[in-house]
Amino acid sequence: MEEFTPKLVGARVKRREDQRLLTGQGAYVDDHHPPGLLHAAFLRSPYAHARMTQLDTSAARTREGVVAVLTGKDLVSLVKPVRAVSKMREYKETSFPPLAVDKVRYVGEALAVVIAENRYLAEDAIEWIRVEYDPLPTVANERDAAQPDAPVLHDEAGSNVLLSREFARGDVDAALAGAAVRVRDRFRFRRHATVCMENRGCLADYRAGTGELTLRSATQCPGLLRDVLADLLDMPEHYIRVVAADVGGGFGAKSSLYPEEIVLCAVARLLKRPVKWISDRQEDLKTSTQAWDEIVDAELGLQADGTIIGLRADVTTDIGAYSIYPWTATVEPIQTISFLSGPYRMPHYRGRNRGVATCKAPMGPYRGVGRPITTFVLESLMDRAARRLALDPAELRLKNYIRADEFPYKTPSGLVWDQASLTECMQKARDVLDSDATAQWRVQARAAGRWVGVGFATYIELTGVGSAIPVSPGMPIATGTEAAFLRVDPAGTVIATFSVAPQGQGHETALAQVVADALGVSFGSVRVICGDTALAPQGTGTYASRSAVLAGGAAIRAGQALKEKALKIAGHMMESNPADLDIRDGQVFLRDKPERRLPFRDVAKTAYAGLRRLPKDMEPGLEVTRFYDPFFGTASSATHAAVVEVDTETYAVTIKRYIVVEDCGRIINPLIVDGQVRGGVAQGIGAALYEEVVYDDEGQLLTGSLMDYLVPTASELLPIEVHHIETPSPTTLGGFRGMGEGGTIGAPAAIANAVSDALAHLGIEINEIPMTPEKLFRLVRAAGADGR
Amino acid sequence: MKPPPFAYHAPTQLDEALALLERYGDDAKVLAGGQSLMPLLNFRLSYPSALIDINRVAELSYLRQENDQVRIGALTRQRTIEFSELVRRQLPLLSEATTLVGHLPIRTRGTIGGSLAHADPAAEYPAVALVLDAELVLQRPGGQRSVSAEEFFVSYLTTVLAPNEIVTEIRFSPAPPTSGCAFEEVARRHGDFALVGVAGVIDAEGEQCRTARLAAAGVGPTPIRLRTAEDILVQEGVTEQSIQRAAAKAAELVEPDSDIHASADFRRHLTEVLTRRAIQRALERGRERRA
Repeated sequence: MEEFTPKLVGARVKRREDQRLLTGQGAYVDDHHPPGLLHAAFLRSPYAHARMTQLDTSAARTREGVVAVLTGKDLVSLVKPVRAVSKMREYKETSFPPLAVDKVRYVGEALAVVIAENRYLAEDAIEWIRVEYDPLPTVANERDAAQPDAPVLHDEAGSNVLLSREFARGDVDAALAGAAVRVRDRFRFRRHATVCMENRGCLADYRAGTGELTLRSATQCPGLLRDVLADLLDMPEHYIRVVAADVGGGFGAKSSLYPEEIVLCAVARLLKRPVKWISDRQEDLKTSTQAWDEIVDAELGLQADGTIIGLRADVTTDIGAYSIYPWTATVEPIQTISFLSGPYRMPHYRGRNRGVATCKAPMGPYRGVGRPITTFVLESLMDRAARRLALDPAELRLKNYIRADEFPYKTPSGLVWDQASLTECMQKARDVLDSDATAQWRVQARAAGRWVGVGFATYIELTGVGSAIPVSPGMPIATGTEAAFLRVDPAGTVIATFSVAPQGQGHETALAQVVADALGVSFGSVRVICGDTALAPQGTGTYASRSAVLAGGAAIRAGQALKEKALKIAGHMMESNPADLDIRDGQVFLRDKPERRLPFRDVAKTAYAGLRRLPKDMEPGLEVTRFYDPFFGTASSATHAAVVEVDTETYAVTIKRYIVVEDCGRIINPLIVDGQVRGGVAQGIGAALYEEVVYDDEGQLLTGSLMDYLVPTASELLPIEVHHIETPSPTTLGGFRGMGEGGTIGAPAAIANAVSDALAHLGIEINEIPMTPEKLFRLVRAAGADGR
Repeated sequence: MKPPPFAYHAPTQLDEALALLERYGDDAKVLAGGQSLMPLLNFRLSYPSALIDINRVAELSYLRQENDQVRIGALTRQRTIEFSELVRRQLPLLSEATTLVGHLPIRTRGTIGGSLAHADPAAEYPAVALVLDAELVLQRPGGQRSVSAEEFFVSYLTTVLAPNEIVTEIRFSPAPPTSGCAFEEVARRHGDFALVGVAGVIDAEGEQCRTARLAAAGVGPTPIRLRTAEDILVQEGVTEQSIQRAAAKAAELVEPDSDIHASADFRRHLTEVLTRRAIQRALERGRERRA
């Protein structure tokens, strides 16, 4: 493989998609209005757990504008049930019917669909469907779910415990018994919702003439959807096209297959008319996959000098009512115990997890998957240990980070970190923070009675995962490869089509930079198209911090292959040895004599001119598809630092400074990286201080609107200081590492540690997020420090 | 989230609107800025048979001074009030509270009459009306009456408005020029409904307190006038101790509920904190104004 020479890669190229997206010229699902369009509305369960004894749609069918009403029973003959299968041992497979049959298992579960001439009429008709429910006992939380006499949600599983797994290294019990210092706590991440600017939505259109079914969906994974829909609908794959053009945010919640997508495809095929469903905000909060609902009992042991000797943890994950396709209910729980050992040398470790089903919306992946909570747990324990040992928390971390000479480092769960800049990130974070000045400020502020604190968090994460490790354990689909299809037309411009599918990440810019460098043409001559299975090579989509690594790698391979062929043609035209030629800025030139040159477009034109003009035996044309599999993937790492103040009377937390120092390998576009980091931190701040999905004991969702589910707005955020250590990955093509999730991973931990530091004089240590004023009020009152 | 079917009327004259209201009675809803009503309709929590949209009734939108009073037409947008020089000069408390109402797009549509008639106890305007002893003019076909803010609010989202009445005007008497005012609130995020809000208007010189008016939002079925706390300041004068006692008294006077954002205990605690802060800041403002 030729050395990849970055030129545009690394430049602060403005995102070319922004002109479109910021001026209302984007084309989201709801911007499409094919002729004859019908609209769907779903009847959703008001009960958390109930048997349906009667479901009568006859009155609804007669309402104005209604074209069809379907129930779960009607769908049985139209689509196969979804089974979230996994080969993982101790995982119990369950069914997730697109419309409930007989039984509902969470509030919001769809049980019937009305298809009407418009959404208003469809919603009016919904009220005419008669359902009789026989309510069953609610499985309200993970504690109730795991009781031996708990009502069982899925009879076929026989228990609400749908999975359990353990990773271990060494003898952690013996190691901890001999530890000089042990710190432990019960940590809690409350359930989170994924709030995208664009709600979920889809539009299915079946053309009886050609037999083609097109699904436009606000999804991260068009390729994945196409493959599974072919199976569920029993249709040939090449007659299904899934398009995800502009998508307004995903963050993991748009990476799974949803009931509405299946129902709309089935209905469009049945009625032979296009049908659209756009989720409203309430439906989105009720039914999009939720995240991070976990309890972790963890204990860390250290020697007297602060050297870590072992960690043990028991994790319980509330996976909600259904296991989702394709990731299954294992995606969050298993990653939790996979990543809990963090960026530290960990000689002894045991992490156990079990995932339990409850009457809540299904759990799915959300930015960070497993790592936000593990970073919170481990970094909180590190600060507790530092307090016990009277050590500087940063020094304690520096002492225990995996050292540069220890990479590649195999973790207790079997993951391999290729390389990371742990020490450099922390040192730089301390420099940027100006540790001494901050420490002095902290002393003065505290002397004045203010509650101020500083917190650090370091994480290491696996990104750009190839085929060696499934994104989710034992799952039936392959996620280790992505591809690039490059077509140079006779004018010398390039269309680069990818199987990844962005939701705002800037692929159209970043991947054009990579292609342009690999081929030696200008940025403007490369157009990137993503998110359409009819155009793209085989692949799945954009998730799991993989696009820069997998699609970027494929772009380099494809660009280099094209370049090789272009140079052969150019050599023939210039009567030179192709090995002596190169391409830069759209010009082919002789390396030793750069004034001998030929425009790339002349080469492209020649490529299509037929055999007479081409080297002997060369196939005409200038296009190529290349796949890339990074196999193990690569590590990304960062240190976050937060400075906070807690109002001593209202308990509001104000973040005064927020610093990120991260290493995502070779940076394709610093503007995009900074934007991704800041967006991730914003979501992490939301997790730390504001966001919490609340269900009551009857399984009713109390946070069904954005007045109650609080995401931070611009008013709650602050300028986030982002700094980079740029160490190209030794294992990936181009040296790229994934970085889309990192901001969210570090922020809850850093902020929690800063709040704990601010309240340390009261003996308060944070073990739960979000840190709402109410919760801090109760902690302070329990500590007897509220002036009473 | 689409509203159920309803008949829609958009009168241009107040008389016309009143006639429609007379015709539909309890079955109709008056649509002003729509910032509370439209979500209620879209969630299908309200099923009126008719909406009477008064946004075209131009005669209800005005701000003027008349006989020592500031009179504000019910349809006046919050954004207009926010930028009104007259309001800033004569009713600084209303000015300040308006900046705390929702967000810019909400204030651009939302009206003062709509906010008062909706009577959300956590909203800013009801507490301001109460603390400033505002009068509300309620018009019905062929007549009108004027009620004090204290009489107007009955319970959660409930007022003395009869089914055939519309709020047409709000009359404020400016506080004395020697007084100071403050609106303190704690919300989870900027623009959210307050967990607790406290409005204060205090006329004091040195330790002597001529009048003190205090009201709290978000801590009961209506905004709550904190009269016993006011009395402490007037009777004892304004000292650090009396302010502390008045604040503690305020926490006793409120009747908060618990919800997912704050417990009743925490709201009581915040009432005390914010009452103290409101008093202190009102005193400070008064000193600045007199200087």
